[in-house]
Amino acid sequence: MVLTHRNVDGIDIVALAGRLVMADVPQVRQRLLAVVEQGQGKLALDLAEVSFMDSSGLSVLVSVFKAARLKNGDVALLRLNPTVRSLIELTRLHQIFAIFDDEAAALARLR
Amino acid sequence: MAMTRTISLAIDSRPECIELLSHALRGLCGLTALPSVEIAEIELAMVEAVNNAVEHAYRGEPGHRVVVELHLSPGHLGLAVRDRGEPMDPGQLAGSTETLKPDRADPATWHPRGRGLAIIRSCMDSVEYQARNGVNVLAMSRKLDRTGPGSGS
Repeated sequence: MVLTHRNVDGIDIVALAGRLVMADVPQVRQRLLAVVEQGQGKLALDLAEVSFMDSSGLSVLVSVFKAARLKNGDVALLRLNPTVRSLIELTRLHQIFAIFDDEAAALARLR
Repeated sequence: MAMTRTISLAIDSRPECIELLSHALRGLCGLTALPSVEIAEIELAMVEAVNNAVEHAYRGEPGHRVVVELHLSPGHLGLAVRDRGEPMDPGQLAGSTETLKPDRADPATWHPRGRGLAIIRSCMDSVEYQARNGVNVLAMSRKLDRTGPGSGS
């Protein structure tokens, strides 16, 4: 799993690429929690290149969301492919995550 | 005459080995006429079941065997995931029909875990669990709406 991190006006944008499954979870969780800890807790997760995710991947998203909310921040999910979107909706996590197809809209939400 | 064809795949109980099963399953599902979105659902169900074996039955300990059996017959796909680890409480499967209901306004509902069995149930038509003589088996099946060129007919 490849993570690419940039910061735009205090908002962290992390793009993930590959499969977010149990084997990748410890590393991805640690890196995303570090981003939240070191930043303002405002994180846009670009999942356009995540081809597959399982429930352990979802656990990372929820853990990072909880960490961000503890800092009065938020996590927006960006550019979900149909497979990942289906999983998010199946597990009703769209009830807690703001989901966007457009980065500018996600950044506007997080500001 | 229609035949059921079966293949068994075994991995060591390490998370990094699960991807091997994913690749194999996708290739085998290519023998059916299943669209890619349905193959992804079957893959997800299998991955969740194997995750459970690795993480819960074997408590994350490597060096144990997880076996996946795939049964292909016309109009039907079956999967069985076997381990010899700690058995699951059968009540967990029964209770998995109740999907977690996260509420953005209620932090008590932000559960990181506990979605695997509900995902399996939603991806497959039937799911059964049996623990007998030290062997745990999670058996899943799904109807195939279309018959592909290699589905066994």
